[in-house]
Amino acid sequence: MKTHTVSHFAKWQRWRAGRPWLGSCLAAVLAWAATVFSGQGQGSGELLTVALTFSAFTVLVSLGQMLVISVGPGNADLSIPSSIALSGAVAMLVMDGSNAMIVPGILAAVLVGALVGVFNFSLIRVLSIPPIIATLAGSLIVMSVAIAIGRGLKIKPPPLFSDFMAMRLFGIPLLAVVVLAVSIAIALMLERTVLGRSIEAVGQNDRAAGLAGMRVELTRFWAYVICAALAGLAGALISGFSGGNSLDQGQEYILLTIAVVVIGGTVVSGGAPCVPGIWSAAMFMFLLVAMLNAAGAGPGLRMLLTGLIIIGVIVAASSPGKR
Amino acid sequence: MKTIVQKVLGAVAVGSLLAVQVPASAADTASKKIALSNNFAGNSWRQAMLKSWEKVTKEAVAQKVVAQAPSFTTAENQATEQAAQIQNMILQGYDAIVVDAASPTALNGAIKKACDAGIVVVSFDGVVTEPCAYRIAVDFKQLGEMQIDYFASRGLKGNLLEVRGLAGVFVDDEIHQGIGDGVKKHPEYKIVGSVHGNWTQTVAQKEVAAILSTLPTVTAVATQGGDGYGVAQAFKAAGRPLPVIFLGNRHDELTWWKEQRDASKYETMSGSIAPGSSTFAFWVAQQILGGAKVPKDMKLPLTVVTQNTLDEALKNTEPGGVVNMEYSQKDVVDFLAKLK
Repeated sequence: MKTHTVSHFAKWQRWRAGRPWLGSCLAAVLAWAATVFSGQGQGSGELLTVALTFSAFTVLVSLGQMLVISVGPGNADLSIPSSIALSGAVAMLVMDGSNAMIVPGILAAVLVGALVGVFNFSLIRVLSIPPIIATLAGSLIVMSVAIAIGRGLKIKPPPLFSDFMAMRLFGIPLLAVVVLAVSIAIALMLERTVLGRSIEAVGQNDRAAGLAGMRVELTRFWAYVICAALAGLAGALISGFSGGNSLDQGQEYILLTIAVVVIGGTVVSGGAPCVPGIWSAAMFMFLLVAMLNAAGAGPGLRMLLTGLIIIGVIVAASSPGKR
Repeated sequence: MKTIVQKVLGAVAVGSLLAVQVPASAADTASKKIALSNNFAGNSWRQAMLKSWEKVTKEAVAQKVVAQAPSFTTAENQATEQAAQIQNMILQGYDAIVVDAASPTALNGAIKKACDAGIVVVSFDGVVTEPCAYRIAVDFKQLGEMQIDYFASRGLKGNLLEVRGLAGVFVDDEIHQGIGDGVKKHPEYKIVGSVHGNWTQTVAQKEVAAILSTLPTVTAVATQGGDGYGVAQAFKAAGRPLPVIFLGNRHDELTWWKEQRDASKYETMSGSIAPGSSTFAFWVAQQILGGAKVPKDMKLPLTVVTQNTLDEALKNTEPGGVVNMEYSQKDVVDFLAKLK
């Protein structure tokens, strides 16, 4: 009888260990239910749609952060807010309100993002600056360029682009569908390609990966470039969604992306990315704020609770003894 | 002979003319250096503030009213960083420091040091509590209260949504209190929701969108300026009827207002402080250096845009900017004379 329970428990443990996104997923559902409850049951569907829309942006940027964090301890991209500000400005400048220029505008934003990634990595590699400092310092330079280009000017997106950003398919935001496609592509890349496998291997042990013949620095290069390119794409999309670019449009995505990556079950020391967790954690972070707002919590209490809940979710989500 | 006399007389006349042009503060400030210490440049208001400073001080330097008036902005919006910046200004020997402070109290130590070194410190917008500094505060409470008064004057009734600024910042608390006072005065209003938009459009849009699905019908939205456009986007995305949103004088807000007015006779009001208040602070500092007697606490008037003045305000505001007003030396001299 007793052995029976133990084996059940062990099975449950094993099942859970293979699904690091489970904790954040559960937390997201709970936060949603609590919000709906405190809002007297109104707009449960509407809340989900809104959450999907805003989480889509978070997911897009966090996927990149996940790749960077996964290439080994100490790797993080702190230049994301600046990349988003700069690429948003570039996208709106290229589009200049014309429907025909939407695709070139988005491509330009992605390109600008990728260039920021190359710049970041060259600071890290060529000048041997630790990633956190390099990307933070780089972000100041990138932000200065964004200020010089935009000078705080808001340029409106083409009407078709705004409509596209607000479009829904059977109640699901089109934006979320697009970001889901990007997520699947990233997941496939991690599972099936040499680059994806290298990212995990390099993150787990860069020396072993190097000795096994993997190109460690090239792998890291791609992680930074893909991350910044995704931030560039997000910059263009945010500008389209918010009716124009602004310098502060990426401000919140620095801590948010790291929190989402960690809560989503990606191992923070690298080597084990978790794509589904990015979605559930992004939804959770949005719904958590929605819940606390709907409950009328003051800013002090809200910050305190956000901190406590994030710690709680991380502790609950990580399997014991395997942290 | 006669011509020489004429020339001399002419020179005297020109000299006296010049003397007349240099007003009130008799002492010469031509050799004085005034620095602007600014904690943040990442939004359109601050950008316009810096631009106004640059424009007015450049002219003042060209006319030799002051020797130098550079502006410095900290990168990370941190009080510690700004305190270090002020320490540097003390070492560099500025005669006056105009400061838009990251915190009302955290800079007090550095500011006390500046005062002790004989430097005139004038704080504006983000003012400091250190008694030795001058404060040019904006009546933020009034900015909150006038919104509710405006809603009442329109005969609106029902639910309000409050979009606040950055939590823990003095300005946010003041406007919030003003809105609270207004609601107390007009019991026909009930605040059904309150979110922090951080004075950032995209954040305001996100926060409002998140809370909106849990709210009943919202009649009007009280804001703190700069996020009205984001609030409008959130209502549009949710397919909700557009409430009366109090705006904050930004060009994008006014453009949106004009579009709504032309399309559906949308009516609202907009108010904020002009970024040119930096130039007001500049002239106050110059006057103090010139020996003028100035009270420690001053209040700057609000700049309001109404349905009638919308077109004009929009015409005079450049894209990306805020409805602005740059102060001249004469404005400040008149202002100070009125205080006496």
